[in-house]
Amino acid sequence: MSAVATDIQRLRAELRDRGATVKATELAPAERVARVKEVFARRLDGNMATYLETCLHCGMCAEVCHFYEATGEGKYTPIYKVEPLRRFYRRELAPMGWLRKLVMRDITPADLDEWQKLVYDSCTQCARCDMICPMGIQISPMIAVMREAIAEAGMQPAENKALAREVLEKGTLMGIGPEDYRKVAAELAAQGVVVPLDKPKASVVMLMSAMDALLFKSAIAATARIMNRLGLDWTIRTSAGDAAVFDWTSGDERAKATALRKIVAETIGAGAKTLIVPECDHGYAAVRWDGANVVGAELPFEVLSISEFVGREIEAGRLKVKPLPAGKSVTYHDPCKIGRWSGVFEEPRNALKAIGVEIREMESHAKTNYCCGGGAGLVLNERANKLRAGAFHIKMREADATGAGSVVTACGHCRMTFIAGAQHANWQKPIESLVELVAANLA
Amino acid sequence: MTLLEFARGPGMQWALVIFLVGVVWRLVGSFLIARRRDLSKPKGTAYVKAGARSMLMRSIPPHELEKNIQFQHLSGYAWHLGFFATLLLFGPHVPFFQQFLGFGWPTLPNVVVLVIGGFTLAILIALVIRRIIHPVMRQISTLDDWIAVALVIIPLVTGFLSYAHVGVFGARYETMLALHILSIEALLVWFPFSKLMHLFYTFPSRYQIGVSMERKGVKA
Amino acid sequence: MRKEQTLGEVMAANGVSRRGFMKFVAATTSLMALPPSMIGKVANALENAKRPSVIWLPFQECTGCTESLTRSHAPSLEGLIFDTISLDYQETIMAAAGHQAEEALAETMKANFGKYLLAVDGSIPTKDKAFSCIGGKSNYDVFVEAAKGAAAIVCVGTCSSFGGIPAALPNPTGARSVTEVLKEAGIDKPVINVPGCPPIPTSITGVLAQYLTFGQLPELDHLNRPKAFYGQNIHDRCYRRPFYERGEFAETFDDEGAKKGWCLFKVGCKGPVTYNACATVKWNNGAGWPVEGGHGCLGCSEPGFWDWGGFYKPLSQGQWGGWKTLGVAAAAGAAIGLASVAVTRSRQAKAREEAKV
Repeated sequence: MSAVATDIQRLRAELRDRGATVKATELAPAERVARVKEVFARRLDGNMATYLETCLHCGMCAEVCHFYEATGEGKYTPIYKVEPLRRFYRRELAPMGWLRKLVMRDITPADLDEWQKLVYDSCTQCARCDMICPMGIQISPMIAVMREAIAEAGMQPAENKALAREVLEKGTLMGIGPEDYRKVAAELAAQGVVVPLDKPKASVVMLMSAMDALLFKSAIAATARIMNRLGLDWTIRTSAGDAAVFDWTSGDERAKATALRKIVAETIGAGAKTLIVPECDHGYAAVRWDGANVVGAELPFEVLSISEFVGREIEAGRLKVKPLPAGKSVTYHDPCKIGRWSGVFEEPRNALKAIGVEIREMESHAKTNYCCGGGAGLVLNERANKLRAGAFHIKMREADATGAGSVVTACGHCRMTFIAGAQHANWQKPIESLVELVAANLA
Repeated sequence: MTLLEFARGPGMQWALVIFLVGVVWRLVGSFLIARRRDLSKPKGTAYVKAGARSMLMRSIPPHELEKNIQFQHLSGYAWHLGFFATLLLFGPHVPFFQQFLGFGWPTLPNVVVLVIGGFTLAILIALVIRRIIHPVMRQISTLDDWIAVALVIIPLVTGFLSYAHVGVFGARYETMLALHILSIEALLVWFPFSKLMHLFYTFPSRYQIGVSMERKGVKA
Repeated sequence: MRKEQTLGEVMAANGVSRRGFMKFVAATTSLMALPPSMIGKVANALENAKRPSVIWLPFQECTGCTESLTRSHAPSLEGLIFDTISLDYQETIMAAAGHQAEEALAETMKANFGKYLLAVDGSIPTKDKAFSCIGGKSNYDVFVEAAKGAAAIVCVGTCSSFGGIPAALPNPTGARSVTEVLKEAGIDKPVINVPGCPPIPTSITGVLAQYLTFGQLPELDHLNRPKAFYGQNIHDRCYRRPFYERGEFAETFDDEGAKKGWCLFKVGCKGPVTYNACATVKWNNGAGWPVEGGHGCLGCSEPGFWDWGGFYKPLSQGQWGGWKTLGVAAAAGAAIGLASVAVTRSRQAKAREEAKV
């Protein structure tokens, strides 16, 4: 475990060094503001208008945000993190904008400096705040707009910029590309696990995740074993690129669109009816909810996360598992983008029940689950170390309170955060992958 | 023209006109902003049911979300209920609504309304103090928040004073009554430009998130 | 001929008993808010008061105020004391008429210049000086001339005090109150307003009595009304107040609530904003007063009561313009809202178009 934690630290350092080589934005301050406004103008939709009209400044969203809870600092209030968007909307798009212009100042370059930190370092887009707002305001999609606007102004953290550039220019992620996929496949083949790469036609297309390739090859192996056991006609397309569609971390819409188009084209190219996203919650939500919108047409295939898929197959009786001896208790951590963003709560729990483990739910679970603190790229953001640790502490407290023997999750991103967080806090709770746990207990 | 004549005459007329122009302007101007067509395949499609559910359930959040804000949450509902009870169930207020609607309704004895109004005022003052000292509230409060809360407190205070025939600075009952009516008119005039509009936005907004989360297969 | 007589002598001559006189004095003293120890002093002063000269000028009035004062079922003390003052000019009830009367007026004004008490009922028309002229002279000129020599002016009734019904919108005659006309004419005289439509007779005589007794004006409120009679709020003194407190209201004039004598607030009672002695002194020798008769207070002793939007409109109602006005307002709001949306949509469409390129 500590080896993985060391790897994560190495990745962070590597990213930081690459970020250092990225030049600071060369845009003039006024141009930055102008670009931010253009993003706001094109991305704000009617729902957001209603949300921005409704906010009462009651501050309840802060009380469910792990970063506010961990620090007690008012600036981490979720709705405050979209203040520039609200300001722009109120002044320039909203009814009565011309009246508000008389009393409300415009967005300044200094605002962008401040909010760059608020949306990139202190929000994991976990959407827990969306669940409490008494006015029913959905804050998380507006955070996405904020991130995109900051990125458009060239002001996202250098690390994120480096990642986005890599996706756009090389098509790799953290240096992991088709070559590495092949290496991993060969490695696993040596262990007796077949990973079919680049079959021209397949009914199921599976995506590869750089995080898994770098840190959790066992998860890839587990996935492959399950797919093979089901006897599926499946493949991984090396040219589909990485599952971790990096809009979440980079905020770069072009990078995201580029990645999504590739994934969609490859899946259609394989004639697949199903696209399965591995244990990567951002990737799943991106493909599931943005894929169709990016390509501008409904997708001719189904998009599933591996945990959703596994749970469904077990329930349908197609995937047989053998129950573990009684006595193993786990708590299931719902990855935000798979859970709250995408409604996958039951399937992973059903899978766990099928293998006979006792699920001890945390006080906040399923749609009210606390984020691990590393979502939306924060796990790789060194500036966010302190905040992440604070948020992780809340997570630990809830997990400990269950008395469960281990934490199971279904997202590499969460897993990384847990492992690094546990290392930092000297926490002994084992962290397990759902797909690995299932694969280890195939009947 | 005395203050009371202004308050019951042109003051009331203009306040109502400004209120209506503003409210419709803002609602039309915001609700009709183009909505994005979502091409992704929804997980759930019972939109009306989900929207209705959210409209109701947002008032009853799960315990784990509410535990840090119980005071704020309960006090929020309490003062709203108290405010509307005072507004709608005080006998002398009913004719105000009767003039538009043509019908009235039974009311509460004054002493009951006084107690409710007193509690309402006390809660509001506690919430104002909270807004002053709480780090989150300090961070996010705007001028509108202060004006809005003042405009809700002032009618209560002037209402008590005129009811009790207590003149401030020697003001007589008719002046206090005029100030009371004017304070409501101030509330009406400020209403469309302020966060008070949540009266109209809350439920559409709750409906929206219900529908939006229904697409994603989450009961929100 | 009678000028040397004192009030006491006149009263005795008119058959007013000592007992009856003392009862009047006690009532008046209490109305003037003086301590009971003052009764003797008041009686003494009244008995020995010389009859001052009083000129009574009626302008745009309905004679209701005079009726209130003079029309009693039996000769009352109020009536008598009124008779005993030297009423040198009162068009309505004086025997003389025409030039004879005018001469009497001119003579009194000249003889008592600076000393007479000027009583006015009715508002003064100011528009074109063309309304309500007497012998070719406008009310305005008559009043200004009389006011110049007055020691003080007593406005009897709401019309002279505040303008009254003649001043109701659209006020075709330009009716003004005495105070307004004095201000306009630049005359500075003490004014006592005894408003009411009509005023309670006791209020009128009480003021006169005090002037006779102490030779001074009573203590006045901010509207120059004697505090002794106008210091109390009708609503505060109303015997139906407990029903207000309990939230029991008559909704119409023929419902159960009306029959049970519940609060008349909802049928337009203006008691809460009216200051007068009706609820305590009552009318017709204490027989009753409007609210007791089942009708809400009109607020007749208050300036502007004639234009308060209707006697039956509750205080909590006002000018709301009707649904048509509000409908127009909503339509205007919708139009502005649509324009605003059009601008926003085109701005957003432009931004989306540019992003595609």
